[in-house]
Amino acid sequence: MEPIIRITELRKSYGPKQVLKGISLDIYPGQVIGYIGPNGAGKSTTVKILCGLISDYSGDVFVKGINLKEDVLAVKSLIGYVPELAELYEVLTPVEFLGFMAELYNMPEAVATERIVRMMTAFGLEQNMNQRMDTFSKGMRQKVLITSGLLHNPDVIILDEPLSGLDANSVIIVKDLISKLARDGKTIFYCSHMMDVVEKVSDRIILINDGAVIADGSFEDLKEKQGSKSLEKIFAGYTASNTLTNASDDLINALSDKAN
Amino acid sequence: MNIINKFFLVVVLLPTRLYSRMGIDTHQLRNILRIKLVMDDRRPNTFQQSRRENAREVSSATLGTMGVSALLGLLSLGGFFVGSDYLTHLTIYYAFYIFLLSSTLISDFTSVLIDVRDNYILLPKPVNDRTFVTARLLHITVHICKLIVPMNLPAVIYMGVKTGIWSATVFLLVAIMVTLFTIFLINALYLLIIRITTPQKFQGIISYIQIFFAIFVFAGYQSLPRLVDKMDLAAFHLSSSPLMWFIPPYWFAGGWQCLTEGDTSTSALVAAFVTFSLPFISIWLVVKYFAPSFNRKLSMISGSEEVATAKPSILVPGDGFSIPHRLARWVTKPGAERMAFEFCWKMTGRSRDFKMKVYPSFGYILVYFVMMFTNKRNFSLTDLSEETQSGRMVIVSVLYFSSFMLMMAINQVVYSEKFKAAWIFFSTPVKYPGSIMSGAVKSAMLKFYIPVLVLITIPALALVGVKIIPNLLLGLFNELLICSTLAYISIQHLPFSLQQGNNGKAGNFFRGTAMLIIPGIIGLIHYFIYPHLWIVSILCVFSVVGTGLAIKAIEHKRWKAVLKKYDE
Repeated sequence: MEPIIRITELRKSYGPKQVLKGISLDIYPGQVIGYIGPNGAGKSTTVKILCGLISDYSGDVFVKGINLKEDVLAVKSLIGYVPELAELYEVLTPVEFLGFMAELYNMPEAVATERIVRMMTAFGLEQNMNQRMDTFSKGMRQKVLITSGLLHNPDVIILDEPLSGLDANSVIIVKDLISKLARDGKTIFYCSHMMDVVEKVSDRIILINDGAVIADGSFEDLKEKQGSKSLEKIFAGYTASNTLTNASDDLINALSDKAN
Repeated sequence: MNIINKFFLVVVLLPTRLYSRMGIDTHQLRNILRIKLVMDDRRPNTFQQSRRENAREVSSATLGTMGVSALLGLLSLGGFFVGSDYLTHLTIYYAFYIFLLSSTLISDFTSVLIDVRDNYILLPKPVNDRTFVTARLLHITVHICKLIVPMNLPAVIYMGVKTGIWSATVFLLVAIMVTLFTIFLINALYLLIIRITTPQKFQGIISYIQIFFAIFVFAGYQSLPRLVDKMDLAAFHLSSSPLMWFIPPYWFAGGWQCLTEGDTSTSALVAAFVTFSLPFISIWLVVKYFAPSFNRKLSMISGSEEVATAKPSILVPGDGFSIPHRLARWVTKPGAERMAFEFCWKMTGRSRDFKMKVYPSFGYILVYFVMMFTNKRNFSLTDLSEETQSGRMVIVSVLYFSSFMLMMAINQVVYSEKFKAAWIFFSTPVKYPGSIMSGAVKSAMLKFYIPVLVLITIPALALVGVKIIPNLLLGLFNELLICSTLAYISIQHLPFSLQQGNNGKAGNFFRGTAMLIIPGIIGLIHYFIYPHLWIVSILCVFSVVGTGLAIKAIEHKRWKAVLKKYDE
């Protein structure tokens, strides 16, 4: 099978600081990639490059055989991006905002309108469709944001912490949605710090640290290699020195007034 | 979308063919512009921002902006009443115009025109760079047109009526040149600010500029008619001294004169040349050199690329030698009150929200103050040193007038944009909420009282001498008494725990009246007893005791009463 995303030797520096030190990945259609790593590991830089937000990188990125450097627009049309911070024009209503997004993807208006109404209704926002979003809760904004990423039916969906602010029932809906999208052949790039969710939704986990891939495989593979039971432990095993238990001990000890 | 935005949208999209030939996706261009204009309509503008009353939905901010611009334009007509020739009129008019336009645009550039959210919302979409940049440029153009058309309209009509169509047309052309030049000035100023400070402090500096602008407009509004009334300004005219060449508006006024009055002297020709070449040179500079680095730096303002690395420092308890810390130890009881004192001291110094509300009012009061003095005829400094009747009147009014500033600050202490963070007061075991309130009141009172104290005491001692001390003390003590009493009445919530704009309640009218009447009455009494030093001395004691009692009363406010206020 042809990989839908092919990244080879991806490097990027901000000034003297190298954030990506040669990342190479082949990602296939229908995969749910759990893209994890500690803060500052280079996760969001990778995502930004993939979305065409950063262009001065070295290495090659191909999406569906299209070179990102040669045709950014074509790649952008294939990708749906749900950013982490709920960045929205909140003075607009969901219908206006999503309609605008659809226009930018050059979608026919009738199709767009129908999808917007159906998706908003499915998310339980049919009452709020024509309200300005400045009064919306974090969860409601997140639903609009997820809709905006899926609206044009992209082949690759990049989700950055998509569950933040969602209530328990909506979390179930979104998790379910992710696996159904994958079954339809969509590729999902899932960035998160919530290890228990990543462990469950993704069928391939890529762990990066300090700008390089340090583990890549299914949850089962990683479990075998590390001998740990949960992704949380595996993550800590790769990325933290053995200070985690010490840290909690220090915290507890700080509460007791005993002199050390 | 209102008719004005629709009109602009149609006009700027007229050269569709040209756009497509340039590689711009006109469909996307139209949609980006349309949505930007809709958003402009719903965003409270510069003038509404500082006095935003309620979370009411703004729906035609454009009309508001244009109305205010027209009003400012009308005010600038004042320039035409100064001086005897058009060169003078226009120099003053363009000076006003540059000032007004740049002060408005300076805040709009960050809040409206260069929206950092675009980076997340528009850039991941398949929109090419040309479309994106053109949309931004057209949006800026429309926005500026919405400001400058109404701003210049009064003057164009005035010029048309007074001097004919040709000169009005030239006037308009020159005004456009001035606009381009102003945009250049703002860009340069932005770059300068960005260069000398961090992007984090940038917003703060912009808000200081806004505060200054608000005060300036208020002062101009107050003083211009009186100035025109008072002085014989009509006879005044600008000399053609070489010094004038340092003032940009003079060049533009000269350019106008050259074209309309057929003045072909060297200086007029130079002015005309500068008028019509400088703006283009400056715009070229903006596009070529400023804009690229400017956009990059601007997106850093809210970007996460640069995480400030704090210097590691270790805090040792009781190590604070700062002024607020010392003051707190001096005037508060340990515990909640002391915490509240230091907390408020820091919050009032750091919260942009608080500063934006309080500092302009300080400015307004100062302006009134100055107006009061300049309007007093037959008043001299000897009146002050002799403590004559009018001298006493001035001393007393200065003393009591300044209590308004304190009250302004104290009343604002309960409001904050981050009002939800006040949960800390409710979840911690504080016995009396009054102790937090008194700490906050003491903090705001002292913080703004000390500068007032210094500002009054030094000139008073210098101008009047030691003999003023008893009366000065009474006045200063009374200020504290007035503020603490009013704080007892009006402060019914915990500090920084209310959302701004929540103050449309009935108690407000009472508070407002009390703020005016109480200092007035006490001031009047003070004026009458002024010469009787022994009464003054006794009242000093009463005043101090009264202040103490009022503060005690605040300290003893109970949870039951306070919580009830939050339920209202």
